[in-house]
Amino acid sequence: VATTDVNKVSAGMKSTAATGDERLAYLGVFQRLFIRPEIGAAIGAVAIWIFFWAVAAKFGTAGGTSSILDVAATLGIMAVAVSMLMIGGEFDLSSGSNTGAMGILTILLVKETGDLGGAGLSLWIAIPISFIVAMGIGYFNGTMVERTRLPSFIVTLGTFFVLKGAKLGFSKLVVDQIQVGRIDEGDGYEFWRKIFAAEWGRNEHQLAGRDVIYTIGMLGGLALLVLAIYELHFLRRAERSLANAATFGVGVLATVVGNIVLHTTDNMGGNWLGGAVVAIGVLVSLYGLGRWRYEPLGHVGSAKMTPAVLQRIGLAAVSLVLAIVVANAFDSDSTDSLFFPFTEQGLRAVLFVAFVVLTISLLMMAANRARATSPMAKFVVSTLNAAVIAFLAFFIRSQAGAVKFRSELLGVMLVVAVLVLAWALCGMMFAERSGPDRQAERVASRVIPIGLLAIVIGLTVKLLFTTDNEIAAGLAPAKFSMRIVWFIAFAAVATWVLGRTRFGSWTFAVGGNKEAARQVGVPAGRTKTQLFMIVSGAAWLVGMLLAFRLNTIQAGTGDGLEFEYIIAAVVGGTLLTGGYGTAIGGAIGALIMAMSFQGIPSARWNTDWRFVFLGAILLLAVIANRSIRTRAEAARRAESGLPPDPVAVAAIAEVEP
Amino acid sequence: MYHVVAAIINQFKGELLVMKRIHLVAVFAAASLLVASCGSDDDNATSSVAPAGDTAAPAGDTAAPSDDTTAPSGDTAAPSDDTVALTAGGDITIHMVTHSDDGPFWSVVKRGAEQAAKDLGLTMVWAASNNDPTKQVQLVDAAVAEGASGIASSLPSPDQLVGPLQAAVAAGIPVITLNSGVNDYQDIGALTHVGQTEVIAGNGAGERFNAAGATKIFCGRQEESNVALEERCDGLAETFDGEVISEFVGRDTDQVAQEAAINAALSADPDIDGFMGTGPVIAMSGLRAVQALGLEATVGGFDITPELIDAIEAGDVAFTVDQQQYLQGYIPVLLLFLNITNQNTLGGGLPILTGPGFVTPENAAEVKALVAAGTR
Repeated sequence: VATTDVNKVSAGMKSTAATGDERLAYLGVFQRLFIRPEIGAAIGAVAIWIFFWAVAAKFGTAGGTSSILDVAATLGIMAVAVSMLMIGGEFDLSSGSNTGAMGILTILLVKETGDLGGAGLSLWIAIPISFIVAMGIGYFNGTMVERTRLPSFIVTLGTFFVLKGAKLGFSKLVVDQIQVGRIDEGDGYEFWRKIFAAEWGRNEHQLAGRDVIYTIGMLGGLALLVLAIYELHFLRRAERSLANAATFGVGVLATVVGNIVLHTTDNMGGNWLGGAVVAIGVLVSLYGLGRWRYEPLGHVGSAKMTPAVLQRIGLAAVSLVLAIVVANAFDSDSTDSLFFPFTEQGLRAVLFVAFVVLTISLLMMAANRARATSPMAKFVVSTLNAAVIAFLAFFIRSQAGAVKFRSELLGVMLVVAVLVLAWALCGMMFAERSGPDRQAERVASRVIPIGLLAIVIGLTVKLLFTTDNEIAAGLAPAKFSMRIVWFIAFAAVATWVLGRTRFGSWTFAVGGNKEAARQVGVPAGRTKTQLFMIVSGAAWLVGMLLAFRLNTIQAGTGDGLEFEYIIAAVVGGTLLTGGYGTAIGGAIGALIMAMSFQGIPSARWNTDWRFVFLGAILLLAVIANRSIRTRAEAARRAESGLPPDPVAVAAIAEVEP
Repeated sequence: MYHVVAAIINQFKGELLVMKRIHLVAVFAAASLLVASCGSDDDNATSSVAPAGDTAAPAGDTAAPSDDTTAPSGDTAAPSDDTVALTAGGDITIHMVTHSDDGPFWSVVKRGAEQAAKDLGLTMVWAASNNDPTKQVQLVDAAVAEGASGIASSLPSPDQLVGPLQAAVAAGIPVITLNSGVNDYQDIGALTHVGQTEVIAGNGAGERFNAAGATKIFCGRQEESNVALEERCDGLAETFDGEVISEFVGRDTDQVAQEAAINAALSADPDIDGFMGTGPVIAMSGLRAVQALGLEATVGGFDITPELIDAIEAGDVAFTVDQQQYLQGYIPVLLLFLNITNQNTLGGGLPILTGPGFVTPENAAEVKALVAAGTR
């Protein structure tokens, strides 16, 4: 392995990149992460999850999660398809109505009742027929848009009304009702029910080693992701010693042991011991890893602070004091409702979390400023930040009543504190890389999927199985259905198609500039028609999922939901103007919406306000997506030595005066 | 006789000289009155003309005189109605003007009206506006113009419909409101209102929950700004002994999200042991949420759908409130017939309630057969 050449190669690459095409410029690991369209939505999803997890008792349990995923599944399949179509530069307003239409069509085909009588077909015939009809509707939409050159907004609005009317008209004609029911009377129902609506009852499936798999999956996955970040961030060294690798191994072992202690005990002493062992283990392992693989940094500079840094540290201190005051000022046992929408507990939680986030953000900003002075100054500020996070972890533990705050949150916050400290330590000890490194890329591109897979497996096992203890404690039932599998599979395939296939590239091309795409040989009309057919096919899938779930479909089912799909796509980072976005972003947007539908009643707020919540999320997401994107673009231009884009500079100036 | 009218007009001469257009209209009105009074063969023509002149002249707008031209013609039509009553019911034509969309609900109303017409041997004209207030106004005007013996009308949008129906009453046509319009039928001068008030229906549901032993009810609504649905929950809270939480939980168009919201609300508060859905679809969503959570909660609903009746028959849903809309078709026709032929009125000026009727596991099988027959 030609590791010795890496520095030379990267230096060479850097010089060409600095003078050449901006697309070849080197981007750091975080810049690359922040240039992803769905990053804003992903951060938002995590923040909203934490928020509702903190304020609502049932949120985040297996039952609550199954309910969120159930809503996200039908919404998300459509949002993913609609994202693809929007990237291709078009809208489909008939998509919502189409879901119900496909369900009704299938049921009508199998029914035999009514004056006119349904066709009385077997589901084996009815389901393919409705799929063909769905493809036909998509083909019609796409062809109409292409042939007439009218905006898809108008064409599909027409299709929307046609479908809405047809649903009502045919329902009344055949069964004299505005709903059509009893798909379970069709031939082959048992088989197709398994395909579209089979359910996994969590309470019926025990797995004794569940928590071990969960812990190993989460920690192992996290460790692999950290490794990938290190590989991408630091300059790799040529010669490696086995002793440092062994140090790394010992650190990992200590982290695992510490976590086992932390998870098996719920008393103060056990938590302290476990927390300390985890902290030491993480630090030792990261130190070992760094010494083993990365080039040391010679000069660390002095810890002298500039006034700007000190000012931020001062503000952070004020915010921290306010957080503690808020936590003590409210009665922690009160269930009183203060004023809309807060109970006393809710207000306390919201204010406390706001001040905590402000404190940590201010310290991070201070660290970022200090970085310009010297690595040492940044290390000092980051160490302070880690200490504050650790302090808050124990403060929350002492204040909160719920078990989830006492053990789960404590563990997570301590790990975060240690990671912040370790990151600061490493930043002082090892040199950052400033050019590309193919071998590091290769390691990261292999390690990241494995890490993510480990986390997903850990979470999935935790969600799908129970343990004796939980059954003894009388857990609420939770069911996971085939809908979720369809959702994940659809999102994964769509992401693959958009990112890795020629059709995906064509989609971006026709959405960005259709005429330009056509001139370089992209079959623009065909691509757009196929995108409409994908949306219509997704509507068929959702129609089947609804029909087998509800057994009865209302004539109005799905009408008006097309705007929710578009909102989910936009929240997920897809541009309304086309040419930019991801499929997975739509899936994350759907998850955010499902969480708000679930979280607001869970927190016992009046559900009327969910629209306000939804609107606020939409606005915040759009603003965040825009600012992240312009910032990333500006960073990319700066690195490549090109003059900064005046539009981007103006946009950034707007965001931070 | 012209000089009599002319003398009255002369009293307001100054005004009329200034407003020439009105002068012309008044003359036209007076002339048409003259024609009308000449057409009748008894000699109270002067008495009918004089009050008409009184009202025509001072009224500063053009609408008033034209109204007055219809009023005396109604007066003259009234005696001829009496003669009809003495002969048979065969010449009676009753117009039922509703905002019907001919959906499953209104098709039952229609069957009720048709059955009444058949039983009484009269003609019933079914005029449906499909929720279009402008069209319904036209249909009311058309009924008056065609000389309807009686009009039964729903009142979904009082602002547009009160005026035309008042004109019908002024024209001597008996009017009954049905389904919606309980707040406005007295303004119109209608004989009575036949329908269900949402509060009373909610009251009935509250009693049912008391009987089932529930202590805290979640009343889920499927529309965020529909007063009628809120009144159902308010009525429930009036008679129910425990606490009632009334909330919008998502529209019928997305039953998955609706069920998830109900699921979250029920699991957030373990004290809730009853769910009331203000419609048939949301009642089924509530039932699914209750079953998914494994709760022992009483579920109630409003109105009828086949799946809801199946669930009641299976004992999963305790009851549904039925407003018995067949009666809203049958009873107005019957009451109008009795008023036209025998000058009867029913209800003492108060509305006549067709609900709440209840479908429970005991009568679900019978109701199911009647739904299939199209009368429930």
